[in-house]
Amino acid sequence: MKLEEIRNKIDKIDRELLVLLQERMGLALRSKKFKKAVTDPLREEALLNRVERLNLDLIERSFTRQLLKTIIDESKRLQEKDHRLVAFQGEHGAYGDVAARNLVPDGAFIPCMEFADVFRGVEEGYLDLGVVPVENSLEGAVTQVNDLLTTTTLKVIGEAHIPVKHCLLATEATNYRDIRLVYSHPQALAQCRGFLMRNKLEPYPYYDTAGAAKMLARDNPRAAAAIASCLCAELYDLEIIKEGIEDGPSNSTRFLLLSREPYDGLGDKTSVIFATPHKAGQLFKVLSLFAEADINLTRIASMPLRSDPGNYSFFLDLEGSDQDEKISQVLKQMKELTISFKRLGSYPADTLAA
Amino acid sequence: MKNLKLASRMITGRTIVTVGDVKIGRGLVVIAGPCSVESEEQTIETARAVKDAGADMLRGGAFKPRTSPYSFQGMGLGGLKILARAREETGLPIVTEVIDPRDVSWVAEFADVLQIGTRNMQNFSLLKEVGQTGRPVLLKRGMYSTLEEWLNCAEYILSEGNPNVILCERGIRTFEKYTRNTLDLSAVPAIKELTHLPIIIDPTHSTGRLSLIGSMSMAAVAAGTDGLIIEVHCNPQEALCDADQALTPENFSGLMRRLRPLKSFLERESAATHVEDWSAARCDNET
Repeated sequence: MKLEEIRNKIDKIDRELLVLLQERMGLALRSKKFKKAVTDPLREEALLNRVERLNLDLIERSFTRQLLKTIIDESKRLQEKDHRLVAFQGEHGAYGDVAARNLVPDGAFIPCMEFADVFRGVEEGYLDLGVVPVENSLEGAVTQVNDLLTTTTLKVIGEAHIPVKHCLLATEATNYRDIRLVYSHPQALAQCRGFLMRNKLEPYPYYDTAGAAKMLARDNPRAAAAIASCLCAELYDLEIIKEGIEDGPSNSTRFLLLSREPYDGLGDKTSVIFATPHKAGQLFKVLSLFAEADINLTRIASMPLRSDPGNYSFFLDLEGSDQDEKISQVLKQMKELTISFKRLGSYPADTLAA
Repeated sequence: MKNLKLASRMITGRTIVTVGDVKIGRGLVVIAGPCSVESEEQTIETARAVKDAGADMLRGGAFKPRTSPYSFQGMGLGGLKILARAREETGLPIVTEVIDPRDVSWVAEFADVLQIGTRNMQNFSLLKEVGQTGRPVLLKRGMYSTLEEWLNCAEYILSEGNPNVILCERGIRTFEKYTRNTLDLSAVPAIKELTHLPIIIDPTHSTGRLSLIGSMSMAAVAAGTDGLIIEVHCNPQEALCDADQALTPENFSGLMRRLRPLKSFLERESAATHVEDWSAARCDNET
């Protein structure tokens, strides 16, 4: 191995160490929800003793102890800071992570495998807030999330429209001329088809956009790049070859911020879910309430009820707060016309939305 | 010239190449900017200055074809990203050179106009590659080339299905040593006789002398050029290449104040006197 090669490997290991450390800190923050106090001397001692039993000839025991002690101290310092734990679905760097950072700038961002994990984690109190996508401007409703919204006890306390800006990312050592394979989520690959064709790149489906970026940083496969958010470039130390490589007009996803407690201000947007009995004109009667009261609706969507095939739930977003006299009256009348009715809450509208 | 199936004037009316809001082939289009992209700061500062002075497009090299392999070769992909940022800042479309067929699709991702330099005029694989992108191409005349050879190169691009070719006269080699090359201004009316493609003039590389750029720009406008491409650097003394032939933003701005009125004067005159298209009356009987 030549010096340059050796150094490349060292750089790669450093990157991996830091990504793992980030993951460890996230877990430590989550552990706080289960502990009485931040410091647990028994656990600390057990942890230090266990790694001391490892026999690694190049790493002296005194060094291991020192290193772990430093990590534990830093993790305790983080736990003392009382970060709110904000859950999103996907790996770090996913568009959900981008939305979470946008909605709760000082949070600690916790990746979850599934949308259901985000809902359950917040409902059960292991996580403080959740960020989930409800709708994409090109692809439409995110059905899994809308389905979970119909049954959750959580309240909506905020929203954000996040532009989906795909970037072509590669490791620093990769020359753009050598790129042949591009890893990403099939939806992202489809949105960048023109770019891939123009540059004779072969799309390679992967489970997640951010997951593809993470894999690139970890495995550094030859001649490969990934399509993911710009945030991934920072998180995984990747080079942005080009920003905004999607073919179509800008596409954006609307995310909701979920909490156990309702929004404590007035809010200027309200979300409700309801179902009407199977009778002629029922839905029309509900909607006419809003027309008569001159309340603007910003979203009307329907979804089949899983528990009752053939019936639908309707999602309604309207301008204004449910504490407003007029709106509160309309919601009361509406409740009488429906067989199920659920308030998701009032919250500040994302004014940057189109 | 019988091989010019597509470049020949017989085919159509005059071609107008559209780049954003800019139309090359109508009025006077001025492209200005540094020889090469050296840093984000230098590029954006120069871009703002040329925009304020009234330039229509920004030039700047990210890949430099240098006579010596030891000279600065350009910033490559990093330079393209800086140019794209300068476009975001100023709204000026980007003209940049591509020298390697492997880079064509990538340069086309960032640039609005692909430039083929004088040294690559007859690089036929490069011409075919830019012909396939559909992006407008600025084809410089080879410094040893006849008009016919030049137009055959344009034909390569056109025959790939890309109709957006802009020709650029940048001086040819003669025995004269005072100027860097000899600017062949007769190319402007000659090209208009021979082809429907627009032609612009590069007074910087052809003269290689700061003191001559202004006069030759005015002469080019008088000859009927569709545009000019001029090197401007916010701090010429520190330029990494062609330091002694780049205009300062002040010089450029002064030149622009003379060019535009000259162009409108000529347009007004030709409208008033209905100047005949002289190309129709080629003087075969002259001795």
